[in-house]
Amino acid sequence: MKGHPFLLNIILLSMLTSAAMGQVSPKEACRIDDGQLVFTLDLQWSPAQKQEVARLFNLDSAVMAGALSGKSIIVSNGVEWKTKKLNARTVELFKPLSDPANGDGFPDDVVMVDDDWAGFTMEPVRESVDWGINKFTRYTVFQYIHGVARFYLPGHLNAKEVYLSGTFNRWSTTQMPMARSDSGWTIKLKLKPGKYLYKFIIDGQWVPAPFNRQYGSDGNIHDNSVVFCFNHTFVLKGYKNAKEVYVTGSFNGWDPRGLRMFKTNYGWVFPMYLREGTHAYKFLVDGVWMTDPLSKMVVADGAGHFNSLIGIGDTVLFRLKGYSSSKNVVVTGNFNGWNAVGLKMSKTSDGWQFPYVLSSGNYEYKFVVDGNWITDPANPYTVGFGATKNSFVAVRANHTFIFEDKAGINSVLVTGSFNGWNRDGYRMVLKDRQWTFPIRLKPGKYTYKFIVNGKWVLDPRNELWEENEYGTNNSILWVEN
Amino acid sequence: MTLIRNIFQVLVVVSLTFVSTPVSRARMGPVDIKPLFLPEIVIFTSQSPAGVFPEGASPVVIPLKRSGRLFFMEVRIDNQVGNFIFDTGSSKLVLNKTYFRKFIVVDEEEAGGVTGSTEGICRTSVKSLKVADLHFSNLSADVTALGHIEDRRGIKILGLLGLSLLKDLEIVVDLNHNELHLFRLDKKGNRLVTHPQRRFDLVHKVAEHNNVLFVKAKIGGEQLDFCLDSGAESNVLSSYSSKSVLGTVTILKRSGMVGVASGQTDVLYGMMNDFNLGERRFPAMRTILTNLHKMSKSYGMVIDGMLGYDFFCQGTISLNLIRNEMGICFSKVNDIPK
Repeated sequence: MKGHPFLLNIILLSMLTSAAMGQVSPKEACRIDDGQLVFTLDLQWSPAQKQEVARLFNLDSAVMAGALSGKSIIVSNGVEWKTKKLNARTVELFKPLSDPANGDGFPDDVVMVDDDWAGFTMEPVRESVDWGINKFTRYTVFQYIHGVARFYLPGHLNAKEVYLSGTFNRWSTTQMPMARSDSGWTIKLKLKPGKYLYKFIIDGQWVPAPFNRQYGSDGNIHDNSVVFCFNHTFVLKGYKNAKEVYVTGSFNGWDPRGLRMFKTNYGWVFPMYLREGTHAYKFLVDGVWMTDPLSKMVVADGAGHFNSLIGIGDTVLFRLKGYSSSKNVVVTGNFNGWNAVGLKMSKTSDGWQFPYVLSSGNYEYKFVVDGNWITDPANPYTVGFGATKNSFVAVRANHTFIFEDKAGINSVLVTGSFNGWNRDGYRMVLKDRQWTFPIRLKPGKYTYKFIVNGKWVLDPRNELWEENEYGTNNSILWVEN
Repeated sequence: MTLIRNIFQVLVVVSLTFVSTPVSRARMGPVDIKPLFLPEIVIFTSQSPAGVFPEGASPVVIPLKRSGRLFFMEVRIDNQVGNFIFDTGSSKLVLNKTYFRKFIVVDEEEAGGVTGSTEGICRTSVKSLKVADLHFSNLSADVTALGHIEDRRGIKILGLLGLSLLKDLEIVVDLNHNELHLFRLDKKGNRLVTHPQRRFDLVHKVAEHNNVLFVKAKIGGEQLDFCLDSGAESNVLSSYSSKSVLGTVTILKRSGMVGVASGQTDVLYGMMNDFNLGERRFPAMRTILTNLHKMSKSYGMVIDGMLGYDFFCQGTISLNLIRNEMGICFSKVNDIPK
């Protein structure tokens, strides 16, 4: 092989120089030295490497730029940084470590760190899934009939006590003792349809459910057992000669290989959990798509075909009285992305109406009457003011804020962590000498206050409160499952 | 509060009993200033565990609940049932003011030596406390605000429970299985005969001071004092450690502002690459680096660091306060929760 001695020398020289000076890795740029916070900066860093240093170590890029441009002292936000050139390629940037004003490692308020620190992911666990089925290998270990779930743990007859713990009881270790039977342990409890994570606690030790092949994470523990309480069974009568029948729809991304139905004496069935709301679906019988003969609700798929529709949950009947001479009335809200053309209301003898299945939650909406946006005149609950004032409905409300009326009160709002402490608040409605506001809240802790005639007050009916950062107090509400 | 500020940030309370209030900051009486918190809850001497532990001498297993890097046990306290953080860094029983406000029986002014604060200390008495099969009665407790931890973890917290109630038992902390195992001991600190002694990969001396345990560890060849704090979401190392100690630590991250009261504070996150207990060198463990001067004062002794979540997850850790020993059975790598 022919080499080029001159070029080789340059490469070798360059390698030696680089090795001697050593490139500083952005990840190794920071150290503590004798009470000083020290950064070793490399003049040859690319813009991306400088950005990485700024990001990792929260280092002001202007301070870094000053140091790299040869300044000996840089002041930023009242902090004085000094520099020292180490060689042709590296500069040290340093300042004394900043301790909290009270001289403490941990200030009065809590230390905050970025979420990605130390693999400390607090991934939000998806609270609702679109659909689900169970994967039990022994069917007696779980039954769900008429809203009552029965959990059965076979064996463990020598155990002193067994508890059921899961998302349905906020993982309580003491609330749900199981009863011993001849062959194991059982417990019955009322559960709403949905997905639940659970484990057994056998004499203090956490045990995933045997005979259940489905596991899930709650963000902390990853081997929890999973169970679904079903709320729907797809049924297709007949087609007894078909070899295979699938049901598929918007809930599973129209996956044709997804949900294989079971053959029965009268046709095909598929029991499952379906999220509340409206879902489009079809059956696939030996490869042929068909709508559900038992369902009259269909919707065009935009390609000249129709899909069947199934609504799970409460049907909200939106009604608007009057406006008989209007031509076009629609209801729109945050449930359909405020799409003004979406939900066309039907004319009735005394006005307009539109039935719509909504999942549990809080919704804002308005009617659009021939292009004019109006709030629902029949619904006293509103949020916002002026042009942003919308009608408000809570589907399956699980809490009602109540403030007792007194003479002279003409306005009560409720505001809190559930609405980002919106100063416009949620306007409470006077009814039977009480100001009320029904709402659907997810499980968890909420802080809130009432704004009575413009004055912020605690909830006099609630003895739970805590101090806030303003030196006043907030009422506390815990919403269980 | 966290969500309002930044949903992608979480609050890390490095020592749960150390933040927010004068009560929690001052864990016990400082040595160099006038004592503030002499231990009040000396419930059982080493000769008097009777009545606490259930008859039959089988071990008590307490299932722990977990939220992030905190561990909770469910406790019945008078007429309330709820979660207590298992916090070995807490020298006494601490109750959340939100739920015990009306039971506060003492409210006196704190001497301002440590914190400079003149806020009052709230205390209360507890008639009965039950956790698993353990019963306690007539306890005193500090009452302080713990709402910020609830906000951070979304879990209702009645209080903090440390080793003060469990001193005369062998406490086996198994965070990989979310369990505490408690064993009765004889006067010499041996498990009663029905429970064979467990073999540990490492046995190390601990020192107990006001219900908190301290261990000597080596970093960079230098001997350092750490307190054991299961209520700390991270290990902590003093940012004023010597060059030989800090030379073994890789700094990975620096946070920005950490709160209104603190001003500009350097909170640094790094990896302890050379942590040794006895002859055993630990795999790299994450740590926070910050000033621990005042923490040392509140503990009444100089501490160089705190061993929290990252340490407790290294394996099954047995604490025997009669023998003043800590035993560790190290986890296989796959057992350690991420």
